[in-house]
Amino acid sequence: MNIIELQGITKRFDGLTAVDNLSLNVPEKSVYGFIGPNGSGKTTTIRMIMNILYPDSGKLYLFGREHTGARVDNVGYLPEERGLYKKMKVNELLRFHGELKNGKNLNNEISYWLKKLDLAEYANKKVETLSKGMSQKLQFIVTIIDRPALIILDEPFSGLDPVNAEILRSAILEFQQNGATIIFSTHDMNMAEKMCDYILMIYKGRKVLDGTLLSIQDNYGTDTIRIHAEKGSSVMENIRGIEKINDFGQMQEIRISKNADTQEILSEIMKRTRIYRFEVTKPSLNDIFIRIASPEKTE
Amino acid sequence: MRKIFVLAKREYNSAVRTKGFIIGLLLAPVFMGGSFIAFALMKDKVDLSDKHITVIDHSGLMKEYLTQAVEDRDKNEIYNKETGEQIKPAYYLEFVNPDTADIFQQKLNLSDKVRSKKMHAFIEIGPDILHPGDDPVKSGIRYYSENSALDAVRDWFAGSINNKIRQLRIKELNLSDKSVEGLFNWINLEGLGLISVDKKTGAVKDARQIGVAETIIVPYIMVILMFMMLMMGAIPLLTAVMEEKMNRIAEVLLGSVTPFEFMMGKIIGSIAVSLTAAAVYIIGAVVTVGQLGLSGMVPFHIIPWFFVFLILNIIMVGSGMAALGSACNDNKDAQALQFPAMIPIIIPLFIMMPIIQEPLSHFSTTLSLLPPFTPMLMLLRMSTPVSIPVWQPIAGLIGVILFTLFSVWAGGRIFRTCILMQGQKPKLGNLVRYVLKG
Repeated sequence: MNIIELQGITKRFDGLTAVDNLSLNVPEKSVYGFIGPNGSGKTTTIRMIMNILYPDSGKLYLFGREHTGARVDNVGYLPEERGLYKKMKVNELLRFHGELKNGKNLNNEISYWLKKLDLAEYANKKVETLSKGMSQKLQFIVTIIDRPALIILDEPFSGLDPVNAEILRSAILEFQQNGATIIFSTHDMNMAEKMCDYILMIYKGRKVLDGTLLSIQDNYGTDTIRIHAEKGSSVMENIRGIEKINDFGQMQEIRISKNADTQEILSEIMKRTRIYRFEVTKPSLNDIFIRIASPEKTE
Repeated sequence: MRKIFVLAKREYNSAVRTKGFIIGLLLAPVFMGGSFIAFALMKDKVDLSDKHITVIDHSGLMKEYLTQAVEDRDKNEIYNKETGEQIKPAYYLEFVNPDTADIFQQKLNLSDKVRSKKMHAFIEIGPDILHPGDDPVKSGIRYYSENSALDAVRDWFAGSINNKIRQLRIKELNLSDKSVEGLFNWINLEGLGLISVDKKTGAVKDARQIGVAETIIVPYIMVILMFMMLMMGAIPLLTAVMEEKMNRIAEVLLGSVTPFEFMMGKIIGSIAVSLTAAAVYIIGAVVTVGQLGLSGMVPFHIIPWFFVFLILNIIMVGSGMAALGSACNDNKDAQALQFPAMIPIIIPLFIMMPIIQEPLSHFSTTLSLLPPFTPMLMLLRMSTPVSIPVWQPIAGLIGVILFTLFSVWAGGRIFRTCILMQGQKPKLGNLVRYVLKG
């Protein structure tokens, strides 16, 4: 069953098309990642799913029913730009949002999540005393305090240090294991690769990728070589079959042309330098993202 | 509806559970009634410094009399007879002959003395005061001082000089003092209400005396109280909504509630705050006047109307304020909009006195039936001792209900459009467009 179905939704702002004829099916209990450059239409799509914005055309179904008007309690939403009532105490704030979402067993839920996200000692402190990272974790608890069946997170990891990002990631996965459906938008391709069952990429308001990571990568074929060469990327120039070199310092990622012979490329590079690692693979999500949204592509 | 009440409860708690609310509750009436309180406190604080007055008497009739009158006053009136404490300033009188060659130069010199604080004032008595002719200068009495309009010295001399003139005129008519004893006995017209029938006993009740308190102060307090409640409940919605928009709290809430529920939660919270404050003031006032034995002054039949109009007024003004707050992007926008948005509740304050004086006039009736003004002005008219036609409060109420529904509808459309919009200036044209097109 699909938790969300978008059928050709379009949204325009003052003549600018923010989302253009977008269709999407989000299966139940899946983790769906929305990726795309800034301003591509991810947040607008999410706001339409939440019914905060209304599409100009197209239809939107949530839990199998057409979604118009009232809020659905069973959905947790973490917006990209978020704020909290700073003068409220942490537990009062969570109770307020829990009551607003008609949450059950709020006392237990509040204690459980504060403890899980290392915020228990701040339960009676005012929100204004929390650091930015703590506020973000509290914001996450606000989103899931009623244990919703659908969780929509707009850039949940932005600004978090690796430790807190990992805490948040494990909390999200706990929900998935308990049967929730999760949608999140991110610029962190590594996190998207690790967490998402499905990936949607929106570019200039249009859907450009949609599917599992493997199916997306299959579309591009095995056209990537990850190599660690002693003399770096300088020795890889002017080798037949190499289309593009991305130099990451300790490692280089090479995109090869369609019928290039990887053995020939390997032997050519070996003539010029020592090689510590050589791996023929599918392109990473990050690479696919850049291929679609790079400035050259834009031009 | 449940979500609206959860939001309203938070609004109410966040407003009422603060020291600011308690302090505001105590200080608001002090500020609003500050001039009355200051007047009451200051009325016995009299300037006791000596007052030197010079008189130019063109008539030649007053020197002996005024000198004696001032002497008697300074001896008998300026000290408290029981405590001996000085309660009024002493007067010192000096007569100068008129300078017939250049009276203006003489008056200029005297004016300079007043300016340099060497004397308090000077009086010029015209030559024809006993038998006034056509020339107002010759027939008049002129009092020159730096603040002649509000000067107790002027009042005292006006009374004394006219008393002497009256005595001289009676003397000219060869009448004895006894024969004119009652001639100047002024009889006041006592202000009373109307005769009525006691609803319990059926007996005819005599009319009650109607004082300034019931005519002016009670209606004034009613309207000022409503204004205070609006200032406390509805007006702050503009900045509160703007801050929640700018602090990105709005979008978090919009994940759980619709924009309309969001707006109404804030408005109902504000109503609860205002009702709490109003209840405190009204119960306090009723208990206080009861203790003072002045319960008859309280128009109890108006109190339910007060609360009905207050609730509708907060919804009406509050929805406008919330809508404007949602359209603001920063404090500058909010400051620019706050005053124009408050005009409908400020205008009634400016026109209170003419309406209290003539509650049944065409002007009063028409303005009190205009929905934005109805809650304050209809209540004002109803609070006066004059009975207004029964249909008018009912018609006013219907108009206010309809206009309130319109305000909520229009405010909701603006709110829904603007609450997540950034960078658009809140121009009137845009706001109208949002109302019409959503």
